[in-house]
Amino acid sequence: MTEYFGTTVADIFATMPKRFKPEEAKEVDIAIGYEATGEGGGKWKATIKHGTLKVETVEGELTGCKTTIHTDAETFVGVTLGKIAALDALSSQKLRVAGDPKFLMLLLPKIFTPYAAPAKKPDAVTARDIIATIAERFRPEKAEGVAMTIGYDLAGEGGGKWTIVIREGKCAVREGLADPLTVKMTMEAKTYAGMMVGTIEAVTAFTSGQVKIEGDMAAAGATAKYFLKYVVPGATEAEELISLRVINSIEQRFATGPVMGRWFAGIREKKFLANRCPKCGRTQIPPREICAWCRVRVHEFVEVGPKGVVTHFDIVYFASPDPLTGAVRDTPYATAYVVFDGATEREAITLDLKQEDIPRLKEGARVRPVWAEVTTGSYRDLIGVELDEEEGSI
Amino acid sequence: MTMQEDHKDCFVLEGKMALPNQNFAGRLGSRFLIAIRDRKKIMGLKCNPCGKTFVPPREYCEKCWTKIADNWVELGTEGELVNFTVVRYGDRHLPKKPPYILGQIRLDGADTPLVHIVEGIDPRDVESGIRVKAVFAEKTTNTIMDIDHFEPV
Repeated sequence: MTEYFGTTVADIFATMPKRFKPEEAKEVDIAIGYEATGEGGGKWKATIKHGTLKVETVEGELTGCKTTIHTDAETFVGVTLGKIAALDALSSQKLRVAGDPKFLMLLLPKIFTPYAAPAKKPDAVTARDIIATIAERFRPEKAEGVAMTIGYDLAGEGGGKWTIVIREGKCAVREGLADPLTVKMTMEAKTYAGMMVGTIEAVTAFTSGQVKIEGDMAAAGATAKYFLKYVVPGATEAEELISLRVINSIEQRFATGPVMGRWFAGIREKKFLANRCPKCGRTQIPPREICAWCRVRVHEFVEVGPKGVVTHFDIVYFASPDPLTGAVRDTPYATAYVVFDGATEREAITLDLKQEDIPRLKEGARVRPVWAEVTTGSYRDLIGVELDEEEGSI
Repeated sequence: MTMQEDHKDCFVLEGKMALPNQNFAGRLGSRFLIAIRDRKKIMGLKCNPCGKTFVPPREYCEKCWTKIADNWVELGTEGELVNFTVVRYGDRHLPKKPPYILGQIRLDGADTPLVHIVEGIDPRDVESGIRVKAVFAEKTTNTIMDIDHFEPV
């Protein structure tokens, strides 16, 4: 029996007696004829009389019906499930009613509980079922300005060849493979269905060679966000699990001491105050009470910078998540080792480089500081550095 | 030798460290809490071989290791105060202002006690063996505090 939207026309009629509400139909006396054309279709007659219902299949002509409904099997299932609006089907002539359509539209919901597609086990869902739901799962708001054609070549039972066209905020599914395609994905229909219902992990399927991607890889990866997740029809809702999120906070106080205090006092004035060792002459950034090499007390402060030179740098493409929040910072980001003008060679300080400048970053590049709008004498005052290109040194 | 230090630039930076936590009640714990929250019922898990009923719920019988995770039974919302202590110090993490009574309550139908707060009786007058009943919270929080407290019947 051919399925549409995960169910059959026959199942809709088979469940009719169960869905019938006799107490609502006491006053009703009507015979309704149904003709569903195409695969999985047929003719049925529902006779409702004083709270009783008789459903029969009809061979040949539908006779003795006050109202008859003529449509194709797919539209019939779609309208019954509410996947296709009845008014749209009527106005597009896909569904025709001989008799009074308005009367039917008011009567049927009253005397029948709505039909729901039978629950399917996740492994009984076929690729064809899932492809059939693509257009309704499309999220135009996510696909603004996207134009692509995605081809699926799915082998085996429940498979087939389809082209999904996304253009101008609309999505259409066509049988067969179009040419050209932005991306073509070839796999077993079973694999596709498994990935969509979540029993097969997409990354694993790809790396293990179960999925072949030809064309634009990035487009293949991006498709998921243009669609709502596929939900197996009739799947029972997951049980509610209780999980509480609590944020405990610990108050802290950090004392700077006189030397770091001086550094931050300088930062507030947008100055870099290093201190110079009386013995070796080295500048320390940030300053410290004792020269780390000579082990002597350091008293003299000197202003360095504010511009400097990048001696080397790291560009980070995969950021570790913040262990406290799980947040991952925007990548790529660059940490540059900067020696300020006037500072001793090799006394570099590590600073963030402005993200837009990363492609032009080179060793030896000149940089200047980027300050916060308001400087308060905090480590947040100095946001980082940016390339100082006016000097033409790059 | 004395040291002269200039303290004019010394200052203190105020900081706050946030520690996000996620506390998962577990599958059984969730069902237990949801029954209290939505149906105002206290559920336990019974081991049929031992005949022992546990509350709060546990997946396996502590005696015979039978898996009892699906054998839910409804307990009474009343029970006997089998033991208690009086909390006499206050702290920010504690649910009530001291002094308050923290009791072990064996609910009707249960074999293990449930720890909760007992109110409506002076800590000086409380004694083991009294009958108490659950008073459910009006505003629920998905915690055991969805039972607000127990009070003498």
